[in-house]
Amino acid sequence: MKKFTHLLVKEIRELVTKQLIFSLVFTMALFYFIGNVMKSEVKKAIGKQTIAVLDQDGSELSKSLIGTLQMGNYVPKAISAATPEEAIAAVRAGTENVLLVIPQGFGESVSALSPKPIETYAFIRSFSMIGIRRSEVLKGIISAMNSYVSDEYIKKRLPDADPKRLKNPIPIREFVSIQDRRAEVSASAIAGFISTQTMMIPIILMMIIIYASQMVISAIAMEKQNKTLETLLTVPISRTSIVTAKMLASGLVGLLSAVFYMVGYRYFMTGITGDFQAASGVGPIVKELGLSLSGSSLIVLGASLFMAILCALAMATILGVLAEDFRSAQSLIMPVILLVMIPYFLTLFSDPKTLSLPAKVLLMAIPFSHSFLAVQNMFLGEYKNVIFGMLYMAAFFTVLVILAGRIFSSDKVLTMKLRWGKKKVVL
Amino acid sequence: MASVLSVENLKKSYGQLEAVKGVSFEVGHGEIFALIGPNGAGKTTTLRIVATLLTPSGGKVTLQGHDLKTQPEKIREDISYLPEEAGAYRNMKGQDYLKFMAGFYSEDPAKTAEYLKRAEDICGLGPRLKDKVGTYSKGMVRKLLLGRALMTKPAMSILDEPTSGLDVINSLEVREIIRGFAGEGISVLLSSHNMLEIEFLSDRVALIDKGVILDSGTPAGLKEKYKANNLETVFRSALR
Repeated sequence: MKKFTHLLVKEIRELVTKQLIFSLVFTMALFYFIGNVMKSEVKKAIGKQTIAVLDQDGSELSKSLIGTLQMGNYVPKAISAATPEEAIAAVRAGTENVLLVIPQGFGESVSALSPKPIETYAFIRSFSMIGIRRSEVLKGIISAMNSYVSDEYIKKRLPDADPKRLKNPIPIREFVSIQDRRAEVSASAIAGFISTQTMMIPIILMMIIIYASQMVISAIAMEKQNKTLETLLTVPISRTSIVTAKMLASGLVGLLSAVFYMVGYRYFMTGITGDFQAASGVGPIVKELGLSLSGSSLIVLGASLFMAILCALAMATILGVLAEDFRSAQSLIMPVILLVMIPYFLTLFSDPKTLSLPAKVLLMAIPFSHSFLAVQNMFLGEYKNVIFGMLYMAAFFTVLVILAGRIFSSDKVLTMKLRWGKKKVVL
Repeated sequence: MASVLSVENLKKSYGQLEAVKGVSFEVGHGEIFALIGPNGAGKTTTLRIVATLLTPSGGKVTLQGHDLKTQPEKIREDISYLPEEAGAYRNMKGQDYLKFMAGFYSEDPAKTAEYLKRAEDICGLGPRLKDKVGTYSKGMVRKLLLGRALMTKPAMSILDEPTSGLDVINSLEVREIIRGFAGEGISVLLSSHNMLEIEFLSDRVALIDKGVILDSGTPAGLKEKYKANNLETVFRSALR
């Protein structure tokens, strides 16, 4: 055991280089910085929006309309200009992104049931997500104005009627049902909330798998390139220990790297989505529907993710043996990436239950699929599928470890190479 | 002389290619036994089999009574192997590399310290041992590896082209070191292209070509047998 620890420490030291630490800290700092910038931009975007208003009418109706905007999330700023062109020039030179021009005679035209058009100008100052979102404020303004004017029409013609009832005569109550649980909420709100809450899991898994696999393959390739593998294979320690130490070290360092990345990434994502989520208010309903993970569910999920990582490491160990040097190791990660990407996209864009049989078989044969589907299955109470997935991954891992152990205990560890030109494994 | 290593009718094939075709020899306690031959003769394959890196296709190898096929772990405790193109971990300091390798042979700190002292004496790198291996010249790496190979006083040291890539002065130093350790009871199995080196170092020599041992004996005996002045002429005559 002491020899194993001795080797494990060496493997970890080989992987945790100054470059790796610098890269991790730099990436986290970058995410932190961008997250902070995004947070302040989002706050601005969802906060009160100042809109420039040129009221050429000055009627009671136009004033009420501006008052309505005030009650919404908008701060109207009156522009002193003789013509719309002058107002446009003034706004262009300023900071507002929207100009509203209420034409002269607007109030009278509405009374005559032939309203003159209100002109809106969106000043797109950047094509960033936040910039475009600001210009979308217009949609809200137009909707608010139409609602106000139509309410006024109805009140005038049918003073006893409730404008809201007339505009939406069929009241709708939306319910979502999951298993035996039910709650009054829109399905899209739940889907949106769940996807933002769980989108991190497959991303974390993907990152750990790719990171750790890359490390195992590179570690073996570097031993070959630096001509240290032959010496290591002749020291008195079992080959299984050599394989396990490499896998475990890569798994630990991969996990550490993923934690660094995810902390930064989470900060970045919170910057974008945090305030929107809080505003949606569906959190308690999600719990009511059982769509939150309990302590035991999180343990099961963690175990499932761990099994997937083990499968990837075992696969990477075998691929690492095929590498001749560090350069060839870079391309050998491709099979692992493909096997991660296929289930990631299939589970992201489709329902595995409705897939064709060949696609379903392919999906289920890839061990990582079971971890990608674990959260979904747990939300739906299908724990049998989660357990089956874990057993499948355990069997997959066992077979690969036995295979890796055999390769390391035989000549193949030194003689097996992948020759891209001839496209065959030469033993 | 008691036999430390016994190789009987050793065979090794890679698919259709027969690299070693029934090689037999023995190496005694404290003896330096050399395999000499051209490239592709089967020297390195034989050495790698004895070092437990390759599995033989046929024949029997025993070291200190342990069978290579059934007890490779036991054999690894008794050998040290220096491959022709060996390297050390470039990010490690020389002394850390030696400490890391010593850790596989002893868990006793006193013993480890003894190994390290011996390795430092053998390699003669002095304060440069505190530098990273990546900054070493080829000769320095070779000396470090030789120190690593001999520090534990293994029953059998397997050295493939021990002076490969070294300049004349370094080569002489390395030969002196090997000779000295044989005197302390370490058996050495080595291979080399350098006939002068073999003549200087070896107690006995096997001439190998195309996977077959053509002849073996002491350098002096072989020279007398083939009426030659040096081993190069002996080898040429044996090939005929």
